[in-house]
Amino acid sequence: MLYSLLFKEWLKLKRYFAAVLLLNCGICLEIFFNIRQQMYAEHAEMVWYQAIHIHSLLYQDIRYVPLFTGLVLATAQFVPEMMGRRFRLSLHLPVSRSLMLFFSLLSGVMLYLIICGSTSLCIYLTLQKYFPIEVAQSSLSTMVSWVLAGLIAYFGCASVLLEQSWPRRVFLLLVFVTLVKMLYAGFGYGWLAPALPALVLLAPLAMFSVFDSARRFQDKGV
Amino acid sequence: MNAIEVHNLYHQYNGRILYADLNFSIPEGTICGLLGKNGQGKTTLVNILMGFLKPTSGQCLVLGEDSHDLSPVVRSRIGLLHEGHLAYEFMTISQTEKFYRGCYVNWDPEIFFHLIGKMGLPHDQKVATLSCGQRSQVVLGVIMAQNPDLLILDDYSMGLDVGYRRLFLDVLHDFAALGGKTILVTSHILQDLEQLVETMIFLDSGGIMQIGLDDFMSSFHKYVFHNAKELKLLKDDVVSGFEQRGGQSTLYSFCDLGQVQRHLISLGVHAEKLSKVEMTLEDGFIGLMGKY
Repeated sequence: MLYSLLFKEWLKLKRYFAAVLLLNCGICLEIFFNIRQQMYAEHAEMVWYQAIHIHSLLYQDIRYVPLFTGLVLATAQFVPEMMGRRFRLSLHLPVSRSLMLFFSLLSGVMLYLIICGSTSLCIYLTLQKYFPIEVAQSSLSTMVSWVLAGLIAYFGCASVLLEQSWPRRVFLLLVFVTLVKMLYAGFGYGWLAPALPALVLLAPLAMFSVFDSARRFQDKGV
Repeated sequence: MNAIEVHNLYHQYNGRILYADLNFSIPEGTICGLLGKNGQGKTTLVNILMGFLKPTSGQCLVLGEDSHDLSPVVRSRIGLLHEGHLAYEFMTISQTEKFYRGCYVNWDPEIFFHLIGKMGLPHDQKVATLSCGQRSQVVLGVIMAQNPDLLILDDYSMGLDVGYRRLFLDVLHDFAALGGKTILVTSHILQDLEQLVETMIFLDSGGIMQIGLDDFMSSFHKYVFHNAKELKLLKDDVVSGFEQRGGQSTLYSFCDLGQVQRHLISLGVHAEKLSKVEMTLEDGFIGLMGKY
């Protein structure tokens, strides 16, 4: 059963996964070439000054890509379920609703993390090539808040798509947009680093919103 | 034992009461047709029985469990056909089989591929590219390969031409012949149901009438007579339905010819050449429920 659930999600996600993975790789390459070009074209001191003293992020272009990635994956998974209310087919499978939904979300989250993990690694390796290890390491703590924003956006998008009532949809949208904006509020290296352990633990709780939307879908399935 | 039991069902939607106090049961091993005009709440009732809608109050038991809280084991014993032959359109035929094979312990791939084989379609064809009739066969294959004990079919005939409808009926007949299988079906094609169902539930204005097909067809009658005047006969103890087309009037009643004749005389209606004629289920449905 679990294999079947993962298989179904993979069928929905594979093309979109490949597309957003390519996009992420493309932007990583762009960042790599930009930094390399800067190192050749400008004095190293200038680049150092920009990167370290005025906290100009050299990988700024990737900032909203995790958010986009999360939204694309959630849309790819849940729009086909909502078209013609096909989610009813999933709800009738001989498995509990929570378990079915958990594995749907798990497959989306796993692919999201694979993409974001690869991207983070690319950025890390790029920075490591031209900067001291501390700068490369700080990119990870900087990007975690963006990755968390994408994760929250993924759960939010899934939750809004499954929700049947328009007032609740608007409410959920407001809540999730606020959460995402909060994670994007600061600039510079690792600005949210002190709160990251707590945020990493709290972010998966957004999943419960999806469970609640699914419950309401079943209760009001006219 | 009953496959489906509905007790004191009350449901309202947007302030409109759909069912005030609905009670009925469908014994195991029977084929029941749920009939009603558009807007009488057939699909809503099916949605409640399928567990996709929580009724305002009352109890619906499907295979002994609350329809809104069915255990996975009981769900595996129920085959559902959603209106419009709902299927995962992003899958191919073989992916559909592979997906459901992993979901159902009693899955029989031979049944699935036998039904698909009738259409001669390549197994790598996407469900989204199939015609409505072809998709109906895929959905039917999915349901039949589960080998369910209870089938709930919501408007299986929707969008199907006569060939696919017959094919669908053939499969349902074969399924019913296995014995011990219960089928609840809704359809707007009443001549199909006439060949299939044993009992019928007429749903009208929140109330129901449950009756065996043979009982209905033998106790409900269609009478015709000629009358030059324009008539308007309202429903009463004798007249269940009345329609007039040109000079010919048609009256539907549970009463025999003599009672109808006396009743018409008492109403001052001159019923020339009053006679009982053969009635189809569709005639009976119109006679009982009206046209609109």
